[in-house]
Amino acid sequence: MAHCGGTNGSKLFTMVLYMAAACGAIPISDLLDRASQRSDKLHSLSTTLTQDLDSHFPPIGRVIMPRPSMCHTSSLQTPNDKEQALQVSESDLLSLVRSLLQAWEDPLVVLSTSANTLPHPAQSIISNKIQELQEHSKSLGDGLVVLSGKMAPGAQTISSLPYFGGNDIGQDRISKLINFNFLLSCFRRDSHKIDSFLKILRCRAAKMLPEMC
Amino acid sequence: MFHSPPAKPGLTSCRSPEKETFTCWWKPGSDGGLPTTHALYYRKESSETVYECPDYHTAGENSCFFNKNDTSIWVNYNITVVATNALGRAFSDPVEIDVVYIVKPNPPEKVTVTVMEDKGWPFLRVSWEPPHKADTRSGWITLIYELRVKLEEEIDWEMHLAGQQKMFNIFSLRSGGKYLVEVRCKPDHGFWSEWSSTSYIKVPDYFHREKSTWILITVFSTFTFLILMWLLHMNRHNLKHCILPPVPGPKIKGFDKQLLKNGKSNQIFSALVVPDFPPATSSNYEDFQVEYLEVYVRREQELVLEESKDLHNSCLKSESSTSDCDSGRGSCDSHTLLMAKCREAKEGERQTDRECSPMRTEAQRRLKDWEEEALNYAHAGIVSLEMSSGRVKTWPSVFSPLPRYSSSPLDQQSSLQMAKQLSLSTSSYLTQPGHSTKEALGQSYWDLCLSSKQPHLLNPPTPVCRELQAHSDVNISSIGHKRAPAGPRSPALHTTEYVEVQRVDNKDTLLLQPVVQGCGRMGGCFQMPHGEVYSKVKGVDSDNVLLLQREGMGEDRCPCVEQETNEVTGSCHKSCTVSTTQKPSGCIYTAVPVRDEMATMANGYVDTATMCTLHTC
Repeated sequence: MAHCGGTNGSKLFTMVLYMAAACGAIPISDLLDRASQRSDKLHSLSTTLTQDLDSHFPPIGRVIMPRPSMCHTSSLQTPNDKEQALQVSESDLLSLVRSLLQAWEDPLVVLSTSANTLPHPAQSIISNKIQELQEHSKSLGDGLVVLSGKMAPGAQTISSLPYFGGNDIGQDRISKLINFNFLLSCFRRDSHKIDSFLKILRCRAAKMLPEMC
Repeated sequence: MFHSPPAKPGLTSCRSPEKETFTCWWKPGSDGGLPTTHALYYRKESSETVYECPDYHTAGENSCFFNKNDTSIWVNYNITVVATNALGRAFSDPVEIDVVYIVKPNPPEKVTVTVMEDKGWPFLRVSWEPPHKADTRSGWITLIYELRVKLEEEIDWEMHLAGQQKMFNIFSLRSGGKYLVEVRCKPDHGFWSEWSSTSYIKVPDYFHREKSTWILITVFSTFTFLILMWLLHMNRHNLKHCILPPVPGPKIKGFDKQLLKNGKSNQIFSALVVPDFPPATSSNYEDFQVEYLEVYVRREQELVLEESKDLHNSCLKSESSTSDCDSGRGSCDSHTLLMAKCREAKEGERQTDRECSPMRTEAQRRLKDWEEEALNYAHAGIVSLEMSSGRVKTWPSVFSPLPRYSSSPLDQQSSLQMAKQLSLSTSSYLTQPGHSTKEALGQSYWDLCLSSKQPHLLNPPTPVCRELQAHSDVNISSIGHKRAPAGPRSPALHTTEYVEVQRVDNKDTLLLQPVVQGCGRMGGCFQMPHGEVYSKVKGVDSDNVLLLQREGMGEDRCPCVEQETNEVTGSCHKSCTVSTTQKPSGCIYTAVPVRDEMATMANGYVDTATMCTLHTC
């Protein structure tokens, strides 16, 4: 039944609906599997972006880099270790995932616009990858919508995490790079969280397929 | 020893095997000669509290182990190592880490490799388990695996990415090979683990499987071979002709294969001998002999000379004959006066009687004229003589000047020599010929002509000429050797003796036939197939007597030259070359025997022209 659905995340919602009607319900495990694959891709992209940025990052910037606690998503309470994470319910986990993803919708646009004028040697590569990030993020969000429909109502809860950075990430080159790097690091962490939570959910949902986990 | 504060230590790495604990290692700097302690301090991102490493020992030396309680994920740790000794401290550079980014799991465990069979073909099944610390079951950590395989004797590994599965099949194994298998794992966003311990497996021989294939191949090739053999057999004749072409039979005339098979070589070789070849019998020797000697003088001179036709016996051949060697024409037929003279001589002298005296005067006169002409020619260059025909007929050897001979033979010899010299080279003749020589020559020649017995006097001078020439050649050479320009003395034509040249045998000996018994003394050493007494002209003595050789071959003939004397022209050759004077360079008289061209002339004329060719300078 997993084959009945589409492969592209953008078509996931419609396909899921159609499949749900035509082929029967797609098991959540498959959905979660696809979602976790998306999130995995998302995080990998952010990791390579960080590496591309760090390859030419002026060492000075590191020292005065803002703390990660200053990420706009730091207010969201997430588990800090394995025990905590495993104790969270699936719907809560999914809610967290959705909240985090939602929180990055606007900052990604900021990142994308600032990447076009980023004073960096790998600016074009970074800009392309930022665009990919946006696409993946959107498709994941759509799929999560479907997922949340199959879960408990708690999954529908999305915490609001507004971004107050505005469109401007800096005036001079150094501050631009620093801010860009900071934003990216925040995204990297959050994407890792998303990925981890989804994989936990996947394993939980695949109790009948132990080889998955 | 100098003590100093410790050098700055450095954090080398921090690793977490399961995303629950982590360990940091540092490298201490120089301790400055004093006992130095190290301490690790860390600070979490959200608080300013500095904590010291809780565990310095679990992970070994220069390490700090953070257990589960001390480990928080998605939290940045700021870690610093401090080295302290009595003299001071040293801080390492701070390192920011997030535990989730430093995950490096332990290698997979319980790797098992078994040989399994799939429809007769074996394959390896490798199975393993994740490291026991990694909690993959809850999904907390997701691991992907990779394994590598190689034969024991190989160098390069064969890599296989197994994904998240914990089992893998390896196909295409070598029968009887021993394989090594290793597995490793990696978290979804972390570092690869180390390779697991090697597992050895030996694949059993599955020959039975290949055996059937070999049987099939053998049967197929046997069939093909049989078919090929059958085809070859059907075409064996054609093949035989292709590979071993038949040996062509011998096409030698007179060759009898049967004789060869019989093995009697005598018969074979005798059969090979063609009766007509080679012409060994002397009876036919005349066919190969030159009939006459032909000497030509230049046209103008010819005309001049021709005028004196009344000298019928002046068959002077002073000029090289323009006719070919085997024309059979005698000197008398040539355009030269000599011919005319010869003719006259022949006409006048049908009988063999040789009147020496009456003719002599005339002959003498003519000879003188002729000699003059000859001399002129010599001066002008006998070359013209020679070149006109390319060949110079030698003077009959009669004309060999021998000063010591006062008799006509001497004159003859001298004249003959004169002729010889003329034919040989100009210079040589220039010096030598004397008036008398010419006269002698001419006279001798004439004498020779006169002596011709044959009615066929149209022909060139009788073989006598040739005979004499042959001999005179020798004598000339001998004479030349003995003395240099020994000009022929004025020949006093005394009684001349004539011999008739029968022919020249195969040994270049002039076969002379005595014409007048009393004319001369004839030795007899020539071969005479006809019962006549022949002798070879040995020389002309001082009395102008033709000395004939008793017998023997040609040791006297060409004493001066070492060439073989068997050639007809050998004598010519030698004597020519041995001209008394210094040989002009290049003017070598080479006589070419034209044995087969010697037309059999009835009167035995010998055409020296055919035999002797003069090479101009």
